[in-house]
Amino acid sequence: MPQKKISIRIDGELVTALEGQTILQAAQEAGKAIPTLCYLEGLSPAGACRICMVEVAGTERLLPACTTPVQEGLAVTTVSARLTQYRRMTVELLLIERNHVCSVCVSNGHCELQAMATSLGITNTRYWYDFPTLPVDMTHERFVLDHNRCILCTRCVRACAELEGANVWDVGGRGIHTRVTSDLAQPWGESPTCTSCGKCVQACPTGALAEKGAAVEEMTKRTDRLTRLAGSKRAQP
Amino acid sequence: MSPILDIAAFNSVREAGLAKLVPTAPRVAIGMGTCGRGNGADGVFNAFASGIERSGMDVRLVGVGCLGACYQEPLINVRLPGGPLLVLNQVKINDVPRILHDLHRGTISPESIYCKVEAWDHITGHISYGRGYPDVPNWDEVAFFKGQKKIVLRNCGFINPEDIEEYIGVGGYQALYKVLIEGRPDMVIEQIKAAKLRGRGGAGFLTGNKWDFLAKAKSEQKYIICNADEGDPGAYMNRNEIEGDPHALLEGMIIGGYVMGATEGIIYVRAEYPLAVHHIQRAIDQASEYGLLGDNILGRGFKFNIRVVEGAGAFVCGEETALIASLENRAGRPRPRPPYPAQKGLWGQPTSINNVETWYNIVPIVTKGATWFSDTGSAKSSGTKVFSLVGKVHSTGLVEMPLGTPLKTFIYDIGEGGSTPGRAIKAVQTGGPSGGCIPQEMFDTPVDYESLQQIGSIMGSGGMVVMDDDNCMVDVARFFIEFTHSESCGKCVPCRVGLNKLLRILNGITRGTVGMRDRLEAMEELGRMIRDCSLCGLGQSAPNPVLTAMRHFRDEFEEHLRAHRCRAGVCQDLALSPCENSCPLRMNIPRFLQLYKERRHDDAFLSVIFDNPLPASTGRVCQHPCENRCRRTSIDAPVNMREVHRRIADEILFTDRFDDLAARVAARKLDASGRKVAIAGAGPTGLTAAFYLALLGHDVTVFDEKSEAGGMLRFAIPEYRLPRAVVRREVELIERLGVKFVFDTRIGFDIPLNDLADRFDSVFISIGTWKESWLYLPGTELKGVYPALPFLESSAKKEAVRLGRRVAIIGGGNAAIDAARTAMRAGAEAIVVYRRDRKDMPAIEEETVAAEEEGVRFMFWSAPHRIIGDAEGGVKALEMVKTRPGEYDKSGRRRPIMTDEIQRIECDTVVLGVGETFDTDFCRASGLALQEGGTIVVDRFSLETSRASFYAGGDVITGASNVSNAMDFGKRAAKNIDERLMGESRWEAIFPTFVYAHKVPDEPNHAARHVSPALAPKTRAKTQDEVVVGMEPEAAWEEAGRCMRCDIKVPAGVS
Amino acid sequence: MKKVKVATVWLDGCSGCHMSLLDIDAAVIALAGKIDIVYGPLVDAQEFPEGVDVTLVEGAVSSLEDAHRIDLIRQRTNILIALGDCAVTGNVPAMRNKVPVAKLLQRVYVEGADTGKVIPTDGVPALNRHARPLQEFVKVDIHVPGCPPPAKAILGLLGDLLEGRKPAANPKVKFG
Repeated sequence: MPQKKISIRIDGELVTALEGQTILQAAQEAGKAIPTLCYLEGLSPAGACRICMVEVAGTERLLPACTTPVQEGLAVTTVSARLTQYRRMTVELLLIERNHVCSVCVSNGHCELQAMATSLGITNTRYWYDFPTLPVDMTHERFVLDHNRCILCTRCVRACAELEGANVWDVGGRGIHTRVTSDLAQPWGESPTCTSCGKCVQACPTGALAEKGAAVEEMTKRTDRLTRLAGSKRAQP
Repeated sequence: MSPILDIAAFNSVREAGLAKLVPTAPRVAIGMGTCGRGNGADGVFNAFASGIERSGMDVRLVGVGCLGACYQEPLINVRLPGGPLLVLNQVKINDVPRILHDLHRGTISPESIYCKVEAWDHITGHISYGRGYPDVPNWDEVAFFKGQKKIVLRNCGFINPEDIEEYIGVGGYQALYKVLIEGRPDMVIEQIKAAKLRGRGGAGFLTGNKWDFLAKAKSEQKYIICNADEGDPGAYMNRNEIEGDPHALLEGMIIGGYVMGATEGIIYVRAEYPLAVHHIQRAIDQASEYGLLGDNILGRGFKFNIRVVEGAGAFVCGEETALIASLENRAGRPRPRPPYPAQKGLWGQPTSINNVETWYNIVPIVTKGATWFSDTGSAKSSGTKVFSLVGKVHSTGLVEMPLGTPLKTFIYDIGEGGSTPGRAIKAVQTGGPSGGCIPQEMFDTPVDYESLQQIGSIMGSGGMVVMDDDNCMVDVARFFIEFTHSESCGKCVPCRVGLNKLLRILNGITRGTVGMRDRLEAMEELGRMIRDCSLCGLGQSAPNPVLTAMRHFRDEFEEHLRAHRCRAGVCQDLALSPCENSCPLRMNIPRFLQLYKERRHDDAFLSVIFDNPLPASTGRVCQHPCENRCRRTSIDAPVNMREVHRRIADEILFTDRFDDLAARVAARKLDASGRKVAIAGAGPTGLTAAFYLALLGHDVTVFDEKSEAGGMLRFAIPEYRLPRAVVRREVELIERLGVKFVFDTRIGFDIPLNDLADRFDSVFISIGTWKESWLYLPGTELKGVYPALPFLESSAKKEAVRLGRRVAIIGGGNAAIDAARTAMRAGAEAIVVYRRDRKDMPAIEEETVAAEEEGVRFMFWSAPHRIIGDAEGGVKALEMVKTRPGEYDKSGRRRPIMTDEIQRIECDTVVLGVGETFDTDFCRASGLALQEGGTIVVDRFSLETSRASFYAGGDVITGASNVSNAMDFGKRAAKNIDERLMGESRWEAIFPTFVYAHKVPDEPNHAARHVSPALAPKTRAKTQDEVVVGMEPEAAWEEAGRCMRCDIKVPAGVS
Repeated sequence: MKKVKVATVWLDGCSGCHMSLLDIDAAVIALAGKIDIVYGPLVDAQEFPEGVDVTLVEGAVSSLEDAHRIDLIRQRTNILIALGDCAVTGNVPAMRNKVPVAKLLQRVYVEGADTGKVIPTDGVPALNRHARPLQEFVKVDIHVPGCPPPAKAILGLLGDLLEGRKPAANPKVKFG
């Protein structure tokens, strides 16, 4: 059954969308960029990072573009002084939460968080750094998990569950003590479920998950491959 | 018991239940909720059980739920056949034999009865218990219950929650029967819509609409869930509802299951509520047994089951998507909506989640109809809501009130005002960690969904925590953020990291480690961002406590940040000890007490004088706020700090040690700075500023319009309280530091302010409140009417005042009491007329007592009306209007309300002690900004005026206050003026350091509080001799030893 | 025209930002006519002078001495610029923050040393518990992140300031 076409407005421009699409999907198809971090095309949306918040006419509340479905007549604003301020604050909070030392990071120059900070014109954070003490899991023979660089986007969790079906990753703890964990919080290298496929590494937007042996600036991620894989999986009967 | 399948069977159960509730034998029902058990109800129950067994009496003993008046627990109700239900409060095990004896003789002694219930409306049924005990108040005549309307709590405290027959006895399950027989689910939903019932969990969504969504959803499986994951600190209404009346919840859910077409009901209750879990489980078992749950409910072919799931204690599981995740055995983390649970809920099936209290309202609506329900409450918020009224109120407990009732009704009528005398209620926190702090000025706000939201708070689950002066609003905000921060699931960035950042800033403020002013703006910005961007209700509402506290109590935040001061004394890192924190001069009180205890009298004096340059005067007349905070009070009585302090000062100032000690003080002077400072006003504020500025090396000149220094100390406070010699001696010490005095010179008149600006580097204005404030009263033009201050001043100068035989003094402050005692000493009779109660008088309590001893008479609740003159233009009488206590005002006192009753006293002199004001017009001309009332505008912390290098402090910026507050301004002004003049802080350099014992006494010493001896009232009332003679050295030494050394902080666990 | 007084300061950093400053190559000649470098590792002045127009600070604040210095610099500077990631975020110097100072010194100067296993005390300022960015101590007017910030970014910034313009946001500037 073909999806019903509906009309919405994005930043004042009339756009055609399909029923069941999210605001983000409709905007992307219309060539409008809404910044995202925890979203990865092909994976289920999490709505966790709150970077893609948009204003919708008729409600005071801001809504995440990645999970909010379009409706006939919806009028969305994706850029405003308030949204920019909140997006900057969100990225600043991520920068101070852990120890992001770009200059010594394998993903320097290829990091989505770093790029997001640059595109938002962030030159410093308005909050003070916490410098928490966090572990680095080096037990896997091919990969590294550095919690200092993790932004808890859970793209690894979803890639592992939805594309590989291994369900190695989950999120443990709560609040500021939340951590990505493998299986029942055992070292990654001891995980009986990990297939070492590396999809989580490719899904990771920062240098938190990386290949062993990569030096500063050497780690590039191919998220496009995951998206393509997800597309072909969906196309299968 | 076989299942009920027809109306006959139903009715026979009902008869059996009624017979249990109104038996032909005496019935004793013990409040056995968690609150009752916590207060010893278990023991009382057992005592009754064994007593009844021993005596062989026929008494029916049952446990019931809580009646709501938690502060009166353990509560029990007893009934003798034919008589009313008698509620007894605070019943102890020792009381049981007496009560049993009373039951035996057939009458309960009235003095032990809290209230009675002659008839009770259970909504689903009505029970007439019987009449009697005319002297005992009916339940709705007791302040705590007056105005309450029990719809949700209709059965709590009356029926045995573990016995389904008692529930059926009061009409339970009839509504279900009716709904099943009528077979029109749509009509029920229409009824709930028409009743405008809104979800009681907090958000206030219309229940009827919610039900409609689920009813219309098409699916094989549909779930209804009762959210009993009550987790707000201070809220416990859901617990008590389930504990006291579990079947009403089940009935509401079974009706809901039927009309929404649900296949299963789940009660998600927190595991920390074991009694509630036990009662609801038992109720489910009984209901199944009686055919009210299961495959064929009441023989009408409807199949429905309910099960209980215990939550593991995560606060966020109260959020519906997290709750569903938890039920699905996943971690309790919310997910974005849409899809809403009504579309995709538990196991992906349509689901409706309602709060416990919402379910309790279903049966009343079905029974009585929508109109009956919406008649109660306000237009948009109908019905009642149960609130847990806790905190600093006299009467605490669960209160069920119609929505729209103003906050003040809860706090002042039901709660009966503050719990601690002398502490004004300043705020109420509603809605727990998602709500906000509402200041006392806004207590007119009606409690409903919209009104509370408008002022930044929410109704939430109904927590209502009352706070008074002992609560620090910064700490309250910090507490709630600490709570939500630790309960955040960690999924979305604003809540996870934002709350952590907010907490770190608040921790810094309460510990005094954050000093930057822009942190307040950063907190506001962050709070708004967390509110607007978080994923679920927890994060979206978490900043409310901070945002509202900052909106309504910004002063407290700024004081913490800029002055490192927490007036409530809660933030311990900002205070040395409670006494030091309460002292306007922040004297190191434990230090001088310890030094005196070590018999180091010179050191004790130095410790005192560097904190307080007028130690002998303040030792006599200070309001001693320190005593209100002294922790020794919890053992016996506060340490008499003021009198020890006076003793220390007197021992040096009036002995041959004076010269030596004065030289030792002067030796600490810093090198001459070459800067000149002028001080206008030689009162306590000016003298204090002069003392410190001279020590800091500045050239100080003090100007005063009078002919001698001391201000109010010299010219307003009578000789018998504060001898002139004392003030003179203190001024002499200040003079020895090089301070120059210029008398009989009025700044702004004899010397223009602009001249001072030319001659001095800095000017400090500390003139007092010398302008009399007249009361606009007919007859004040008569001869023989005096304002108090000029009257006292004339008396202090020994000028003749024509005083009559009978003097009436209007007012309740120190000036009024001083005037009365001065009049007595002039040989007149004195009567003080005050419009409020005795305990509301601003005068120092000891002085009021002394005045009473000397024969001054008092008339309270009496406001002046007019002064009646005689033929010669003199005073003949004073007419007053009787007043009565009205509402509480911001000061925590009851406002006097005029009545029609006129009183009259014959008198020939009237003294107006109704406050003083000041003359600051001269400041305006010189470019100083003034407030509307005439006070000079200054920065609250730096004391800078609108004109550069001009400072002001004391009464001239606050209005009339007291000595120590005035001196505090002088001290702070000196510090700030010096810092500004010199470009750096040299403040610490002038203070000597002391080495003394830092050991907490193993046991508090056994000495009782020492009071300074006073002259006998009869002899003293005729002379100007100092009334209080001061402590003997040994008494003072022993008194100093009573200090428990709160200044010593030992980490927990270290002895 | 009066020359603009510029100072440069090197706190806890690797001097890479100063190197980057020198990388402006030939532009230095044009610049030299407009500015006076009154203080910094590149010139001789011993004491930080009063009335400096622009100060570029490289490095994090790592010791009490750094904190005192930055206080004084702030008082005597009109426009204070945090130059490079160490000054802006703490960067590499802050990576020691999770290790207690005593343990850190022990590891570096005793366990890690081949000879002279002594923790130096003379003439070196004691380390603070944390190395922290400038803005936590003083008000910073402009932040220029980068490790190091590119020479062009520094040059552009100085150019803007000399022309009296509000410095434009530079898309080339990034952390790392």
